[in-house]
Amino acid sequence: MARRYDSRTTIFSPEGRLYQIEYAMEAISHAGTVLGVLAKDGVVLAAEKKVTGKLLDLSYVKEGGYGGSGEKIYLLNSNVIGGVAGLTADANSLINYARSAAQQHLLSYNEDIPVELLAQRLCDLKQGYTQYGGLRPFGVSLLYAGYDTHHQFQLYHSDPSGNYSGWKATCIGANNGTAQSLLKQEYKDDIEVKAAISLVLKTMSKTMDSTTLGSEKLEFAVLTLDPETKQPKAKIYRPDEIDALLEKEGLAKKDEDTAMKS
Amino acid sequence: MNSFASRFATTGHIQELKRAQANAEDDEFSDAAWGSEAGFGSLAKGVPSFSVPTVPDPSAFLRLHTDDHADPKCRIKIQHGTTTLAFRFQGGVIVAVDSRATAGSYIASGTVKKVIEINPYLLGTMAGGAADCQYWETYLGIHCRLHELRNRERISVSAASKYLSNLVYSYKGMGLSMGTMICGWDKTGPRIFYVDSDGTRLAGDLFSVGSGSTFAYGVLDQGYRWDLTDEEAQELGRRSIYAAGHRDAFSGNTCNLYHVKEDGWTFIGNYDISKLHYDGPNNVDGAGYGYEVRVGSRSQ
Amino acid sequence: METSFALTGKGYVLVAADTTSARSIVKMKIDEDKIKDLGSHLLMAYSGEPGDTVQFAEYVERNIRLFQIRNNYALRPSAAASWIRRSLAQSLRSRKPYSVNLLLGGYDVAAEEPHLYWIDYLGTSTEVPFGAHGYGSYFALSLLDRYHDPDASLEEGIATLKRCIDEVAKRLVVSPGKYKVKVVDKDGSREIEI
Repeated sequence: MARRYDSRTTIFSPEGRLYQIEYAMEAISHAGTVLGVLAKDGVVLAAEKKVTGKLLDLSYVKEGGYGGSGEKIYLLNSNVIGGVAGLTADANSLINYARSAAQQHLLSYNEDIPVELLAQRLCDLKQGYTQYGGLRPFGVSLLYAGYDTHHQFQLYHSDPSGNYSGWKATCIGANNGTAQSLLKQEYKDDIEVKAAISLVLKTMSKTMDSTTLGSEKLEFAVLTLDPETKQPKAKIYRPDEIDALLEKEGLAKKDEDTAMKS
Repeated sequence: MNSFASRFATTGHIQELKRAQANAEDDEFSDAAWGSEAGFGSLAKGVPSFSVPTVPDPSAFLRLHTDDHADPKCRIKIQHGTTTLAFRFQGGVIVAVDSRATAGSYIASGTVKKVIEINPYLLGTMAGGAADCQYWETYLGIHCRLHELRNRERISVSAASKYLSNLVYSYKGMGLSMGTMICGWDKTGPRIFYVDSDGTRLAGDLFSVGSGSTFAYGVLDQGYRWDLTDEEAQELGRRSIYAAGHRDAFSGNTCNLYHVKEDGWTFIGNYDISKLHYDGPNNVDGAGYGYEVRVGSRSQ
Repeated sequence: METSFALTGKGYVLVAADTTSARSIVKMKIDEDKIKDLGSHLLMAYSGEPGDTVQFAEYVERNIRLFQIRNNYALRPSAAASWIRRSLAQSLRSRKPYSVNLLLGGYDVAAEEPHLYWIDYLGTSTEVPFGAHGYGSYFALSLLDRYHDPDASLEEGIATLKRCIDEVAKRLVVSPGKYKVKVVDKDGSREIEI
């Protein structure tokens, strides 16, 4: 039955559903987890990398650039970090769009784009692909961790249908249900960045398939305010910084793993 | 909006998406969205298409053939000299105009109707290009009627004048020449708007337009009060036009006088300015407006 | 001749514009308001080519309102100035440019500070402590260089503004009659009598 109504995104099924959109969301729920927590003085993002292996050349990540290995977490603008879950190629396209939209806003208004407005820009695009004939929707959900002067720190989520919503803590991708119930239990309203980092890492370690956390499976980023300039400061961690952080939090790999690797 | 989609825009589907989105953004307020065009076709469109000379600079072209100051031998002489006035007072709006049409130094006509009766509640005055005023104010009349049919109420003077000012503004720099007062009575009472082909639109109590306007202002400003009686107001309008007709070479012949009240405008009369000079409006020998007539033997 | 002034003070911007509309040698109107309220904390004085002024001011007014409706927040003065400047710059290279000069005064509610932008029809925009357009500027700018104080109270600011108006009345051959004066501060914008 469903087959007759799911070949085109523009056609409702008799039950009033758009199957292609639901399939896109299904695809995302198998993707690497992305988790965000909003704190009083910052926002924290973490993501699980799926493309790993010791033959993968990640030398470019170690120096230069703005941090991150370019699979899950991206700098969208100086005040917004994006985390993506879903088809990587689609995500690249959306990230390019988001960066252009942010620059367009800067050009017109001489200010960083407000976070919600950036989310709206992407959602307008995504929504278009649920309505116009012959096009496949984007198989991507995003988390936006950002700061603007209107609403300070913010965390948004957008899905392939073009819906978006603001969150205190949320998770997309594989095992997002487990992560969300954990976050619901652990989240405190006046949490600070330091505690949020711990919360994010702890939740990630519990939800990820692998038993141990390490920089080859994890991307991590924090957005805070620079204490001197009062401007948003996005920090996307490099692999060695992630390992150091995990060490500090007591979530680093056990010795036997290290032994196995060497 | 979808810049990256258009980067690969080769298929019809993407074109369709682009077109649909472009339409959604640009045509939000197209006339089609408002339902029927009432069978008026292109007349019902917001701004009509009006052909301009197919030369690189239409206004320069027009100037070349119409500017009689630069070239007295130019082929088309546009009528310019005029005196028109309108003012608002306790009893409504008085509209008074002269009737002379000049083309260069030649009096082309002495019986021009410079008040355009847009509808029973709206009057427009005519200064500048006679054809421009006549054409566009008649056109305005069509839209005022369409407004009534669509909205089940008369258009306000404010809206009507704004329609005209937006319209002439869209032709700015292309040679239109109009200086007009849109006068009428709507829900808010008596109103006057001055609209010209620069795109200026001003609400006010008292305006005078044309080459004789300074002379008209001289009499009008001094005699004007809000609580004028109807008779006093009509007399003031008439006398002001007489003053301009007398002093301004490009104004004169006769004065047309209108009074707009709550239930629409009425035509008060047509007065010969020479007769006003000697005998006044009531044809009484020696009761004229003229200086010598008024001062009589006291004048040397 | 058309003249407008604006100056900043401690927590406010004062904007003044003459109220005459002239056509050739005739004053067609003597009580025209040439300062537009663009939202609760933003004022714009406009002058220039007849027709263009009102059309452009209304275009700006409506776009700024539309932004507010769409995004549930008002543009800050700096963002509004950028947008307006860009509109004029784009217009300059169009078939029929707007010939409009502006003074944009606003109070930035987020940063709690007043801002004033001087913008001309060429698309020049610069943030200034005080500014003027028209023939009046030839008298007022030197006067304001001498007397303007960015920390002045509203009373002192009004006194300085009066100096400008009086000087122009005294020295300019065809000086405007009346002025409309508006102020914008943390409480929003309002008209003041001088």
